[in-house]
Amino acid sequence: MSGAAPHLVVRSISKRYGPTTVLDHIDLTIRRGELVTLLGPSGCGKTTLLRAIAGLAQPDSGKVELAGRDITHVPPHKRNVGVVFQSYALFPHLTVAGNVAFGLKVRGTARREINAAVERALSLVKLGHLAGRRISALSGGQQQRVALARAIAVEPDVLLFDEALSALDRKLREEMQVELRRLLQDVKATAIFVTHDQDEALTMSDRVAVMNKGRIEQLAEPRELYLRPASLFALNFVGLSTRISGTVLAADNGKVDVETKVGRLSALGNFQAGSPVIVAARPEQLRLGEQSEANSAAGRVRSVVFQGSRTLVEVDAGAGESLLAELSERDGAIPRVHDEIRLSWPVTETFAFPMEAQA
Amino acid sequence: MMIRAAIVVCWVMAIGLALFLIVPLLVIAAASFSPTPVFDLPLTGASTRWYGRIGRLDGFWPSLLLSLQIALLSTAISLVSGTLAAIAIARGKLPGAGIFATALVSPLMMPGLVLGIALLQGFRAVGFTMPGATLLVAHLVITLPYVARTMIAGLARFDFTLIEAARTLGCTYPGSVLRVMVPALAPSFLIAGIFSFLASFDNYPVSIFLADVRTKTLPIRMLQYIEEAPDPTLAALSTLILTGTVILLFVSDRVVGLHRMAGTSD
Repeated sequence: MSGAAPHLVVRSISKRYGPTTVLDHIDLTIRRGELVTLLGPSGCGKTTLLRAIAGLAQPDSGKVELAGRDITHVPPHKRNVGVVFQSYALFPHLTVAGNVAFGLKVRGTARREINAAVERALSLVKLGHLAGRRISALSGGQQQRVALARAIAVEPDVLLFDEALSALDRKLREEMQVELRRLLQDVKATAIFVTHDQDEALTMSDRVAVMNKGRIEQLAEPRELYLRPASLFALNFVGLSTRISGTVLAADNGKVDVETKVGRLSALGNFQAGSPVIVAARPEQLRLGEQSEANSAAGRVRSVVFQGSRTLVEVDAGAGESLLAELSERDGAIPRVHDEIRLSWPVTETFAFPMEAQA
Repeated sequence: MMIRAAIVVCWVMAIGLALFLIVPLLVIAAASFSPTPVFDLPLTGASTRWYGRIGRLDGFWPSLLLSLQIALLSTAISLVSGTLAAIAIARGKLPGAGIFATALVSPLMMPGLVLGIALLQGFRAVGFTMPGATLLVAHLVITLPYVARTMIAGLARFDFTLIEAARTLGCTYPGSVLRVMVPALAPSFLIAGIFSFLASFDNYPVSIFLADVRTKTLPIRMLQYIEEAPDPTLAALSTLILTGTVILLFVSDRVVGLHRMAGTSD
């Protein structure tokens, strides 16, 4: 965390719709130029939080500050935010250039400045040659770029993306993720993405906020989020994992020994003896064979899924527990279905989470 | 072989029905240029004298004016109120929205005669007997379904996020409605307006029950002419109305596309 001044500050925002709490005292601070993703399943409150920042949803309590100004009660048209909507929300009666110019026209900007800004924004998204086109004559990917150009053209204090890439097909989406991140970094934009797509979150963001039931479960850099998930929910939502339930036998200084149905395992975590826990590890930590000072479990291979650069092997460890290992051809032969194998993984990459927190 | 035969039958049907619909219109256009008072085929020359007589028909100008007034007024009122009602229905948050939609469109399915009698009785029952006003209110019943039907369909395709997009770009809420929603719905407004105007302008079965001596709409007047003196003047008038309609449709086709008006494609 650098010492840059906070640019967008969300202070203890809450929002209820009838009996449902959509946002539960959310705090979030974003620095200038930072790209942050709100990641979570549908109904976790991520879109409502975005709308509260845009001014399209009024929070019941809490405050929003943008660029040093309290905007909690400022209507959307005076907030100077740029929003890219999931449906793109392009104006069908205007051309590409007309859409991009809209925000500046409304602001009463001089025509010469508008033309220059439109040209700049369109060339940024590589659509300069389509300025005169009708919106209906564009492909989905092109519409997405127009929506981005329209939001950027007004030079907003923060750009908000509401599932903005989810309507694109997979290949185009993956290309756009990389391109969009580079573009936003080039123009030094501060941006918040809302998505339920973990790959998008990991690819595009400086930090990811994993949301669940109106709360932020973890706010961390993508790498830390994956390697050190703060909760079972974060672990489950980002990436794959092996999860085994058990009971803590002994606890010692941030480490616990856990009795499970596949044997005794050690994990990182602070619990009292007797606590029910889930022990978890990422699949790439699991290796064939024994290792010293490591957890290990044996079982029969249930399925082998080849995914190009990696192969996922699922092992039935008995008693309803299973292990998930990501193996590479480089580390030896990939086992076959029905093979009896033993897998081991380092204790320092094994985490224990409280059982009752399971989502 | 069977498939070929089926295709031929369908083609014959399509062409035959199109002729069936259009030929009478051509006949009346031909009749309007008849040199003799009694129309007879084949024509022996052409004359435009019947067109000159239209303006001299007894009570023609007041009836035309009345019909235009009623059609324009009822269309304008229907467009505003029908659109507002359609928004409530299309946004889907109104409980029983489907029932309201059906109710708004239902006069379309009712025989005009029944509607006319019902309105006459209804107005009498509540003591509403102002001649011009009853006609206007009755025509609202005729035009509203056209507007409601078109605007509900148009709004179902309208993405309300557009308004939010405009607001985040710096528009006030009313400004967003005016700058984004109204132009985006312009094709629907045009279609609804034209259908509504035409439905009111040529309505006979409802108007006949509510018209008195001073409030005879053009269709009522025309039927009266044909009973009194069936000469080609009426054919000339019909041809003029037809031409006006064709021009109206042609212009709207240029603007929004006729296929959308006919509902035969999106």
